Amino acid sequence: MALLLQGCTTKRPTERALKIRWAHDPENLDPLALANQTAIDALYLLNCSLLQADFTTNRFAPALAEALPSVRFLGDSLMQLQYTIRPEATWDTGRPVLATDVAFTLKLMFCPGLPTEAPSSQYRFIREILLDPRNPRRFTFVCTSQAVEYVQASGDFFVLPEAVLDPRGAMRRFTLAELQRRPATAAPNAVLQAVARRYTAATPGQTPARLPGCGPYQLVKWEKDRYLRFRRKPHWWADRVRPRPFTLQARPARLDYVIVPDAATASLALQRGDIDVFPQMPTREFTRLRQASTTRSNLNFYATASYDVVTVGFNTRHPALSDALTRQALAHCIDAAGILKGTELGQGQRTVGLVSPTDRLNYNDSLAPVPFDPAGAAALLRRAGWQRGAAAADGWQRNGAHGPQQLRLVMRYRADEQLFATIALQFQAAAASIGVPVSLQPTESGAFSMALRSGEFDMYVRALRGNPFMFNFTSFLHSQAIGAGNTLGYGSPRSDQLIEAIAAASTVQRRAQLLRQFQALMQQEMPLLPLFFLSNHIAAQKRLVDLHPTSLKPGFAAMAIGEAAAPSTSP
Amino acid sequence: MARLLFWRLLRTALAVWALASGVFLLSHLEGSTAVELAQPALAELRATGGVTTPAARQALERATRHRLGLDVPLFYVGTHRPASATAGQWHWNGLANQYHRWLRDLLHGQLGASFRTGEGVGARLQQALLFTLPLTGTAATLAVLLALALAQYLAGRPRGHGLLRGALVGLQALPLFVIALGLLLLFANPETLAWFPSYGLEQATDAELDAGYQLPLYLWHMTLPVIALTLSALPELTLQLTAALEAELGTDYATTARAKGLAERAVIRHHALRNALLPSLAQLAELLPALVAGAVVVEVAFALPGMGRLLAEAAAARDFPVLVGGVLLVGAARLLALLITDFLSLWADPRIR
Repeated sequence: MALLLQGCTTKRPTERALKIRWAHDPENLDPLALANQTAIDALYLLNCSLLQADFTTNRFAPALAEALPSVRFLGDSLMQLQYTIRPEATWDTGRPVLATDVAFTLKLMFCPGLPTEAPSSQYRFIREILLDPRNPRRFTFVCTSQAVEYVQASGDFFVLPEAVLDPRGAMRRFTLAELQRRPATAAPNAVLQAVARRYTAATPGQTPARLPGCGPYQLVKWEKDRYLRFRRKPHWWADRVRPRPFTLQARPARLDYVIVPDAATASLALQRGDIDVFPQMPTREFTRLRQASTTRSNLNFYATASYDVVTVGFNTRHPALSDALTRQALAHCIDAAGILKGTELGQGQRTVGLVSPTDRLNYNDSLAPVPFDPAGAAALLRRAGWQRGAAAADGWQRNGAHGPQQLRLVMRYRADEQLFATIALQFQAAAASIGVPVSLQPTESGAFSMALRSGEFDMYVRALRGNPFMFNFTSFLHSQAIGAGNTLGYGSPRSDQLIEAIAAASTVQRRAQLLRQFQALMQQEMPLLPLFFLSNHIAAQKRLVDLHPTSLKPGFAAMAIGEAAAPSTSP
Repeated sequence: MARLLFWRLLRTALAVWALASGVFLLSHLEGSTAVELAQPALAELRATGGVTTPAARQALERATRHRLGLDVPLFYVGTHRPASATAGQWHWNGLANQYHRWLRDLLHGQLGASFRTGEGVGARLQQALLFTLPLTGTAATLAVLLALALAQYLAGRPRGHGLLRGALVGLQALPLFVIALGLLLLFANPETLAWFPSYGLEQATDAELDAGYQLPLYLWHMTLPVIALTLSALPELTLQLTAALEAELGTDYATTARAKGLAERAVIRHHALRNALLPSLAQLAELLPALVAGAVVVEVAFALPGMGRLLAEAAAARDFPVLVGGVLLVGAARLLALLITDFLSLWADPRIR
């Protein structure tokens, strides 16, 4: 029976699709909400932004724009960025993509009633957009900072069609600055309400096909929790662009993203040839398959350094953790090298700071990672004023400004992450060896966010997602963000000054210099201890070529994948 | 009988309402987590402009609350707000509260819209049920039929079949995920036997295939998940029914039946079974809500869409409308199951009436 049925499947009349595994359904494909990484990956197939990451160089490169923007500084704080959209660029409807579409998209980000929380805060630095009266494809952004990273960030949003959402151009009467300044309590405006209604009615989160895009693919079918099927547009505008840049590659005729939540199941499917690409493969499975002779002949394996850094954070509001020496002492109790070897099988890179060691320019290679040294930790604790009680159960005590303090800690981490649990257990054991009691609190993901938010932790373990483009730590480590994104409660005039200088640096060299100083300061102050950058593993069928494995999310270039001339048969 | 049925139905409806209201109020008390999870991720180091000040963050949260409809009071009465009132004072919030809106929509047959996706909860639950019911329904039917047959077989020889009994007890001890992964590794693994597909309902099931292929393909994909679910439900039902049958077979009326010259099988089928069924009916009441709630472990292991995954993910993401809708459905199924069991017991044992 089974063999008979297997026979049936081989008669599939459909063309061969490239099947990529996703662990989760994207759930919401709203181009403004950008709900999660899978949604962003899908949206890159459907839409275009002015600049897109080029996985061959790991830099931003022009996509919808003809070239990188030309930069002009105005005074000492403003910056003008001039873009021109490619003349070939059109919407699915055949209309050209124009500067007015870009202006409309930016204004839409500040339209009340839409899921625009993320973009409205992210693109607030674009204060105005000036359209060129002579060229409908040319426009200039006026930005409120001269920071080098804003040049790239300014082009990293999906452009949406004005003609569909605002056919009469009613939003044109507002300037961008007006919309940005509009208070949340302002009386509802009929024009904005109408646009928001039209946007909501198109339900781009659920039926993206209703909103014409300018990307290379169309979403043909979306079965929730099962798969998303994309088909290459037969006549995509970028087919006329010569020479074809990497950002405008779209080779597979059909892309199927299949949702397989369990990694073991996905691995079986990959071995059977039921899926073609398995990104973000767990380290153990990746190593096992790479060593097995049966799979080695059928699959290609790629490992790249990611920009996700595992960190241990200290709640600096906690009286016992308010001084840098105590934090440094505790940092000496974490065996980052051992954990890397034990859990990640040696893959991944140790780091001294929040900048990836692969980033040669910005990484401070003159610093050494904090060593694992419990004896040194005890000495540091003594220097911090702690005294060990006579009995082993007494632990460490000291007299603080508000009375006697006891060094006992609560460490929180997300319960579903094995790696974090291992780190916590290792720390607990090492801390116990020098007499510091640590209790572990594995916490459910949502509750973990809330605990961080409300400061209900002494230490945490978590991964921070980074990228090679932006080094703005304001929302994360600046003292003005305490109570917002700065969950550590950390801040000092020196660090604030450095963070501001990095965010405002107008040259790459200056920024690198400041970033190196910042890494040294963070290691000294130790509000958090970055342990290592995780490795990103991809396994793919051998017949596939040009995956362009990269450190950037999602780790490979799905749109560039091609098939080798003589495909090997899958098992 | 009709009056009894009416009163019991009314009580069931009231209980479902109380249950759903309780879940609604309890979950929405945690509304701030839903708002927090809807914010741009904190773990993201990339933020360019970013939200930097507590004031900006509060403004953002207010916007999210408004979008999700969480900016009005939760219930008719509350202890906080308005600003003029001192904290802890009870006051009347009026009809513009979350619970009132939810109840009003519910009476109009609307379960609200998902926080994450904005789509209607009713449609989403229906979509998930379409996958879940055939899976769990088939497994439950198979488990019940197999349990009936196996229990009669086992009870026929009270001291025999040690191996089979041992296997059933062993199976009972295995968690469902072990059964599911074991089946996958045995029967969907190119290194052992690759008889069945490893995941999901292959896309081909809704592709341009003719119906002749679709049904066998569907069945082929459902085989392992159904076996996993059947195997997990089977031991409990079988062992219970066997024990009950054995107890009944030791009673006087069974001896009388045997003295009449009836074969053991006839004694079981015509005399003992109906009496032994009573506790098993209570077990069936457990099974019915599970049909609707789906089987999250099997759905994850075999990458099947369904209620289990939908509700688990909704709970993780604090997608309260979906969660409350699911609880309403499962709760209704459970209470209905209890009702049905009561009536089945009445049918099976006239002494209860």
